[in-house]
Amino acid sequence: MVDESGQLYTIEGFAAAMIMLFTTYLVLSATSVYTPGDTHISDMQLEQIGTDALKMMNTPVSSNVKSPLQSIIETSNATTAAAAFNTTFLNYVNSRAGSNPDNLHYSAAVTYRNITAGDTTNNYPLASNGLLTGGEHPVRVTEWVIANIKLPGRNTVEPRAVLVEVLLWRD
Amino acid sequence: MQPKSDEAGNLSLDFLAGFTIFMVAFIYVATLIPGLFLGLESKSIDYDAVAYRTGVILAEDPGMPYNDPSYGGWENIPDANKGDVLRFGLALSTSTPNILSAKKIDRFFNNTSFVYPDDYRSRAVFGDYPYQFNISIKIEGENSTRSIGDPLPEDYGYSRRLVKIKEDSSASIDLTKIKGCYWSNQTNDGETDDGKWNNTINSAPGPTTHPFSIYLNYTYLTTKGPYYNNPAYQIDPISPMEDGITVNVSDLDKTTRYGYWTATGDASAAGGALNNINLSRIYVTQSSMTPYKPPYYIRSPFSNVWDTNTLPVPGKLYIDDGSTPITSLSSPVKVNKSVSLVIPAGSFGLSSLGGNDPSTYLNITMVFTLDPNHGDWFLNSTQCQPYGAFVYDYDPARVNQPYLKNGTLEVAVW
Repeated sequence: MVDESGQLYTIEGFAAAMIMLFTTYLVLSATSVYTPGDTHISDMQLEQIGTDALKMMNTPVSSNVKSPLQSIIETSNATTAAAAFNTTFLNYVNSRAGSNPDNLHYSAAVTYRNITAGDTTNNYPLASNGLLTGGEHPVRVTEWVIANIKLPGRNTVEPRAVLVEVLLWRD
Repeated sequence: MQPKSDEAGNLSLDFLAGFTIFMVAFIYVATLIPGLFLGLESKSIDYDAVAYRTGVILAEDPGMPYNDPSYGGWENIPDANKGDVLRFGLALSTSTPNILSAKKIDRFFNNTSFVYPDDYRSRAVFGDYPYQFNISIKIEGENSTRSIGDPLPEDYGYSRRLVKIKEDSSASIDLTKIKGCYWSNQTNDGETDDGKWNNTINSAPGPTTHPFSIYLNYTYLTTKGPYYNNPAYQIDPISPMEDGITVNVSDLDKTTRYGYWTATGDASAAGGALNNINLSRIYVTQSSMTPYKPPYYIRSPFSNVWDTNTLPVPGKLYIDDGSTPITSLSSPVKVNKSVSLVIPAGSFGLSSLGGNDPSTYLNITMVFTLDPNHGDWFLNSTQCQPYGAFVYDYDPARVNQPYLKNGTLEVAVW
């Protein structure tokens, strides 16, 4: 008698082939395959623009003037500072070589170390031109700025390093 | 007993058919698997990455060669030897990303010297695949966008960089600065500067030949720049930076007796019409030793590097805000108000005048002559401290420092 254990028969071969083909069909016919790289690249472009914009704002245009960003941080009137930051920052991030400017949204805050209040880190909002509602997908860009500023808890104007933090997103 | 037929080791036909069907299907499925990962190497991601790379090379790299002993930067390499340009890069130096050099931009976007696409592809875009691309820059204050490449298609990889472009410094020497030279170092004797000026200008007619000197100390300029000698704010006459300068001398008419009396409403008191101010010569002299005071033109230890009737090609001289440069001083040129001398950036400018030697003291002297009957006092720089010349340096009170203009650089690849 023929020992039949371990043998594969035609009908099983057909069944295995059908299962494999059906699985492949299901996978391939899914509408599209998203890879993480797709979104990552446009994030990177946004990050690049934001970083460049902050860096250029923190570059004095001439050796005998302060950088625009330093002047904004040193402005004690919050409304004036917000308006100046809004104009300058949007000018940078929306500027394109072609004719149509870009349309980006941002929210900026300044973080500093509060030396007297138990050495904590505090922050205050600087400016924004849009509300983050949760559906957006912002990137975060930062720039350290050294400014002559009187921070809460201190009595004198002194050079301090503060971190300007911007969340940047596209509609 | 009948011997048992030994079938061990035989393949049944049934098994063979089933296994073949299984293998055919398996191989078919296996060949489909790489297609599942197509998304990972999608074209648009690849193009974005190439555009990003090109953007970084252009905005953050000074190019190659950057500081060649014979050429300096790649932007100085003549068209005939353009094969020596290995990589484009528009940054001033490796330490100043996003701060671009105006001469590099001019050369890069000059498509008569470099041909799209081959010259650009092998020096800025790179890669084995023959990408098409468009590189453009919009500079603050310029009406049109400069660009290289094909018109943009529907879909392309993209990178945008925000940059600054360094503008050369300039000195505007007007009546206030000329007066400043005369009185700044004198002790306070109770008389106002204007009072001294008025007394002197009305004293007997002075000399009729007036040297007006600009003095550049290359050692100081190359080592004592603002922000720890940051190239973005330096006035660097030496290769590979080779910055240019502009000297505007204005109010020349007001420095004369005629100008003084016209300003006070009594032109006739000047003793005649406006003095004829003539620019008769420009000397450029160089020394590698500390100059004596005052370093009048052609005075030891200075020696001539430029004393001809024709101006060297890159130097441009404009009289009375004219738009056409003067090319010859073979006969003196009449000046009513102002003289503007532009020594542009590049290897034929300050660097060649100083022999590309960082220990140079360079003295540029414009010699004004008046007609013999109308001598005057203040049309010169001889009282300026400490060398009898206007010092061109990092003091913003004297020199309008280098200025950074905004620009937007875009790279599209497809």
